[in-house]
Amino acid sequence: MKEKLEILLLDDEIIVGNRLGPALEKAGYDVEVFEDPQKALNRIHEKEFDIVVTDIMMADVNGIQVLEEVRKKSDTTRVIIITGYATVALAREAMDKGAFDMIAKPFKPSELHSVITKAADSLGYKKIIAKA
Amino acid sequence: MINLLESGSNSINNSKKTVSSKKCTLDSDCPDVLSRPRFSLRTHMLLMFILLSSLSMALVIGSVIAINHIQKKLHFFQITEKYLFDIAQARRWEKNYFLYGTNLKDAVQSANNAKNILSDNLKNVTIILSPEKTATIVQHLDKYREFLQELSVLEKNGIENTEKKHEIETSLRKHGSEMVKVAAALVLKEQISMNTMLKLIQRIPVYSLAVVLLLTTFLVCFFVKRLIKPLKLLVESTQKIAKGDFSPIPPMCKYRGEFTTVELAINHMIQELQLREVAMVESHKLRAIGTLTAGIAHELNNPLNNIMLTAHAILEEHNDLSEDELLEMINDLINEADRSRKIIRNLLDFAREGESASGPLDLGVLVNETIKLAQNQIKVSGTKIETQIQTHLPQIRGDKQQLKQVFLNLILNALDAVKKDGTIKISLEQAETPGFLSVKVEDNGCGIPAYILPNIFDPFFTTKGPGKGTGLGLSVSHGIVNIHGGQISIESKEGKYSRFTVILPSLNVPADLKAKSERRN
Repeated sequence: MKEKLEILLLDDEIIVGNRLGPALEKAGYDVEVFEDPQKALNRIHEKEFDIVVTDIMMADVNGIQVLEEVRKKSDTTRVIIITGYATVALAREAMDKGAFDMIAKPFKPSELHSVITKAADSLGYKKIIAKA
Repeated sequence: MINLLESGSNSINNSKKTVSSKKCTLDSDCPDVLSRPRFSLRTHMLLMFILLSSLSMALVIGSVIAINHIQKKLHFFQITEKYLFDIAQARRWEKNYFLYGTNLKDAVQSANNAKNILSDNLKNVTIILSPEKTATIVQHLDKYREFLQELSVLEKNGIENTEKKHEIETSLRKHGSEMVKVAAALVLKEQISMNTMLKLIQRIPVYSLAVVLLLTTFLVCFFVKRLIKPLKLLVESTQKIAKGDFSPIPPMCKYRGEFTTVELAINHMIQELQLREVAMVESHKLRAIGTLTAGIAHELNNPLNNIMLTAHAILEEHNDLSEDELLEMINDLINEADRSRKIIRNLLDFAREGESASGPLDLGVLVNETIKLAQNQIKVSGTKIETQIQTHLPQIRGDKQQLKQVFLNLILNALDAVKKDGTIKISLEQAETPGFLSVKVEDNGCGIPAYILPNIFDPFFTTKGPGKGTGLGLSVSHGIVNIHGGQISIESKEGKYSRFTVILPSLNVPADLKAKSERRN
């Protein structure tokens, strides 16, 4: 088992990456931040991440597409959706397609942390997180 | 062109005026309608009736007089015949006397009878013959009678003065034949005059029938024209109103009458419709704002999230942050707050319920602002927007909010029509019609079936499901474009595309030139 959880963070809002990236690093995760969904998808094809955090409404690629791509690649990767357009329909679609959880913007960093913790937990990383 | 523009802006102002002066009496609304001479259909019919009945009355009176006249003529004719008969009788008796020496008394009697008839009808005879001729008749008759008297005196005295008798006989014959000649002429003249009169009377019904027929035809034609023409105009006016032209209808006929009431009622209705139209535009705008608000609430979540994350970062790590990092974060906070403000201001600008103000506008800027307003909906739907906005175009004159409403409506409709990954092309260019600018909004969505194309600008016509569309959007857009002196049209192929084209009259000065000259001033 790897020592650090590998997380891909995708949001076309630069500030989200700028703030959450360092914070997650600090919390002991291995984080790769992307603003460009296409680049993120390429990276997902290259590497299997433990957790993917993605926005939904982005200029070229939809977060749901990212979710689908991740599902094609791996069954274990946990996908967490963060969106400003949280609706029941969207939540249902995301859940149906195998998202781990959905967080509505605006959220506090701690909320994301707790969801990531839950995801890590489900992957069996309890101890590592506890250590971190 | 300038006229067109002015009329466009006038009608915008007019609509405002009607809103402000809601209560106005019918009479004060249309002084020119009421200034026409009054001639109602009722008066018209009454006049027709009076004319026709006086004509028939004149005919009846004329006939009665003519028949009366004929009767008198007939009577007089009989008298003249009696006179001729008496004279002829006197002459026969006279002949008998000279042949057989009998009937002298009878001759005198007949001559006296003739004299009586003549003196009784002297007046009438004078009218028919000339006074001179009448005098001749009387003279001959008197002479004749005189000689007969002389002859009877001779007879009584038994004097057989043959020479004298012969002399009297010659004179009698002379006056007698003259007398008969004149009397026969009188009778003939009377006969001719009576025949003429009878012929005339025979013709009177034929002539009067012709006159009555002509007159009736004329009156009916005139009446029908007075009825049909206004009705035709009425139909044309209602069609105009249906197309959204709310200018008052022109007077339907030259005179004031029953149709004036209809005109006034229709003009009143037009005013009311105009008020409703304004209300409809407003209510449709509210609906559009509703649609936008939901999207904008979501849109706001992004800058809010950025602010939240940045603020938390500062809160948690302020001790570890370098000055540069802190500065960057604070700048982020300010920029994101500004972004939120812009998102809200954009909607507020559109939603602001203010005096609709007409002024010079740069259509390109307006179209771009409208696209920005719908940006969120565009983003959510995942539709691609391609814009081709020509620069250096003349400005237009119009109401910014109302025109935004038109383009927003077209964009939102296009978004509804396209599926995911659809494309909406928005272009601004010089229209083919000189002096006009054209904005095209084209989508590659579901298209509109040809059979409903003629109805799409009708109010309350919608193809969207119940609760989804009011059917007011295109109708309201049509109305707004109309009062700006422009036109809105649609081309569509079912399943392929829909293309809405809005053309608006432009001002003559190109926008950037004007801006430069203003700067110089």
